Amino acid sequence: MAEAQAQQDAVATPASVQTRSRWEDFSRTFLSNRLALFGLVVLSIFILMAIFAPLVAPYDPLSQDLEGKFAGPSLAHPFGQDELGRDILSRVIYGARISLTAGLAAVAIATTAGTLIGMVAGFFGGYTDSVLMRLMDVILAFPSILLAIVIVSVLGPSLANAMLAIGIVFIPQIARVVRSSVISVRERDYIEAERALGAGNAQIIFSGVLPNSTAPLIVQATLTLATAILDIAALSFLGLGARAPTPEWGAMLTDAFESGFGVFVEGQHALIFPGVAIALAVLSVNFVGDGLRDALDPRRRG
Amino acid sequence: MARTHEGRKITRGDFLKLSGAGLTGAALLGVAGCGGGGTISGGGGAGGSTLIFGRGADSVTLDPVHATDGESFRVTRQVFDTLLDFAPESFDLQPSLATEIPEAEDGGLTYTLKLRKGVKFHDGTDFNAEAVKFNFDRWRDTKNQYHTGGGGQSADFAYYSSQFGGFDDDSIIESVEAVDDTTVRFRLKEPQGPFLRNLTISPFAIASPTAIKKDVGGFWQNPVGSGPYTFVSWERNSQVRVEAFKDWWGSKLPASEGFGGPKTKTVIIRSIPENTARVAALTGNQLNAADGLVPDDVPSIEEQEGFKLEFRPPNTIGYLAMNNQVEPFDDPKVRQAFNYAIDISKIVETVLRGTGEVASNYMPSLIPYFNNNIEPYPYDPEKAQQLLEDAGVTNLDTELWYMPIPRPYMPDAKSIAQVMQQDLKKVGVNAKLVTYEWGTYIEKTGEGAHPMCLLGWTGDNGDPDNFLNVLLNSASATPTDAYNVAYYKNPEVDDLLLKGQTTIVEGERQKAYYRAQEIMHQDAPWVPIAYVKPPIGLQTAVQGFEPNPTSSEAFNTVSIAGGK
Repeated sequence: MAEAQAQQDAVATPASVQTRSRWEDFSRTFLSNRLALFGLVVLSIFILMAIFAPLVAPYDPLSQDLEGKFAGPSLAHPFGQDELGRDILSRVIYGARISLTAGLAAVAIATTAGTLIGMVAGFFGGYTDSVLMRLMDVILAFPSILLAIVIVSVLGPSLANAMLAIGIVFIPQIARVVRSSVISVRERDYIEAERALGAGNAQIIFSGVLPNSTAPLIVQATLTLATAILDIAALSFLGLGARAPTPEWGAMLTDAFESGFGVFVEGQHALIFPGVAIALAVLSVNFVGDGLRDALDPRRRG
Repeated sequence: MARTHEGRKITRGDFLKLSGAGLTGAALLGVAGCGGGGTISGGGGAGGSTLIFGRGADSVTLDPVHATDGESFRVTRQVFDTLLDFAPESFDLQPSLATEIPEAEDGGLTYTLKLRKGVKFHDGTDFNAEAVKFNFDRWRDTKNQYHTGGGGQSADFAYYSSQFGGFDDDSIIESVEAVDDTTVRFRLKEPQGPFLRNLTISPFAIASPTAIKKDVGGFWQNPVGSGPYTFVSWERNSQVRVEAFKDWWGSKLPASEGFGGPKTKTVIIRSIPENTARVAALTGNQLNAADGLVPDDVPSIEEQEGFKLEFRPPNTIGYLAMNNQVEPFDDPKVRQAFNYAIDISKIVETVLRGTGEVASNYMPSLIPYFNNNIEPYPYDPEKAQQLLEDAGVTNLDTELWYMPIPRPYMPDAKSIAQVMQQDLKKVGVNAKLVTYEWGTYIEKTGEGAHPMCLLGWTGDNGDPDNFLNVLLNSASATPTDAYNVAYYKNPEVDDLLLKGQTTIVEGERQKAYYRAQEIMHQDAPWVPIAYVKPPIGLQTAVQGFEPNPTSSEAFNTVSIAGGK
């Protein structure tokens, strides 16, 4: 029923008129969602921190002060110092840069490949669809972090390879979302119209199908970003991603953790602050993703 | 349709909120748990007549001659005895199954050992000269029907060939002869400087011939020796249990020489691989003692009431090896510059936290013929820069490899590498930090793929030969599986090391090793870092624990003051 309604809307209103009201709708729904708003604020802080890290960070994230090993939070070091006396606040700030770029890069890989595969599978259907989607199912059959570990182990541990591995692991999720929305779009009247006007497959895909499938893609990509940030921290924690002395959050955790039982007695702050940073970043991206989904969903609009 | 959708949204939102709350809760709980750990006092989990010792890994095999790993020797040391032994906390020889330290005869070609009377193996077999001969024949002669066993991961008598030159005709020991019941005579092909020291090491413990003849294939999981404890059970990856042997020959001998006891009825040697979990088990009183602590554990255990620390005398050396066959490390000036550029005393003080001594030499100070006249390179970045300029090296980009796991000789290689990286930056050297999985690391450094790598060595027999010859002889700089990972090749040093190995005259050995150490100091193939003293955490109730430089202690002297 709702579907039919939406279909009618799409047919009835020309695209140019719809734009403004859709944007208004979107922002009203999004901003009225308190969790999404909170996520947006926190995420913006992280993004600003990442961009202006050299200006914001009080210290060089690599400079050591061995006398200050595991010194607790103080005015000079609000988050305390780590196992080599480095300033944890500065490292968390620089870590935002690494986690966000690595996350975005992984999502970019997953989105590009996933969109392409989903688009081709959904648009052409038949054997192409079956082969591509069964391939995606194979990837999906492995727990994502496990598959990422395998890929990194084969390629050799480094941050770049971790991004690539996470990117590959998330291709199927994007591909499936894109495929399903392409399937729902491809039989629409305006696509038929384009075809009747003599447009080729490529033109139909890029001017007709793709722009009308972006909403679910954006939502899925945002939610994937949250998982990607978490997984990259996890890989780094396992020693398969960022390497010492890179101030990556997961690597910071493992560095502090590996320095011995003493970290629990005198250096809890070296575990808490990077951990909180990971949790906050992941939660805020998730909240934003949820908010986006609600706001972009035509069925949720009044 | 809409309701399903609504429902899913709430579930997900709730989940996110919950996960946020859960995280905070977990963090708080974790912190609280740490605070509470210390309040339980001694005695609790471990009773007065049982010693529970925690360690980082399981044994590989309990047939000592087939083992190469310390965790196998930790168990076999309790079950077996060797002919000679080291006095407690030192590398001084003392009698064990032999009653005195023999003199060399025929210029070091013959040794005659007097054996202890009335010694019995745990299965009732008599210990005598025939038993000694049986063991050495089994180890040396590849055609001997008992030259086998050891289990799936057996090292195939590796220690015999490495300490005695090989098997059959390659063996330095030509024959072992049972002169009478309590006299055994060794004839050597050529004099061997460290021969008597070799007889002390755990792989050459004497096993019951009856048990070996009965089931040589299964001996590795059912060992029978003459030691203070008899073997009871071995649960793989969990624990080994041994029980006091009432008729142990050493019971009536003086405790000051490491004899007496066994003072506990049962010893359980338990494997807990995760370091943090092991220390937590100790502070939670589930262990009486825990091995494999890292430097950062030291202050946390010192502060806990009811716990104390003991340190093993340093029998290790950790070093930064520069690959002498690649540029620019083929230039001694560059290698000296690195020695000046890295502030080793700062590393020892802050990273090792006093669990080590600054290394001045290429072997630990406990080893005989250690050259005390050599001073470590002082920290002098200006001099380092000067030397680098003289060598024409500017803006050097290189790699510094570090070990991925803690080792006894270097408990925190990652931190040390990071500190070195900063020091090198100050003299214009850009060192990228590189690491591999442990097996790959050993393989690649053994092929000389590194410009610089961190590594180290734990000694076996307390002889300079076991450090200098293994690690710095050009013969050890092999294309694969190299021990000489600096690929240091100096013919003069090779000659001195050979002389030290093949002479048994004290003065000559000293002269050769003193000179070799001087040349090495000048040539500077490494940056020697530290002689680490591995710490052991103990309940204060545990008494009589004698840290042993070989890192496997005999537990017969250990007692536990009655539970609380």
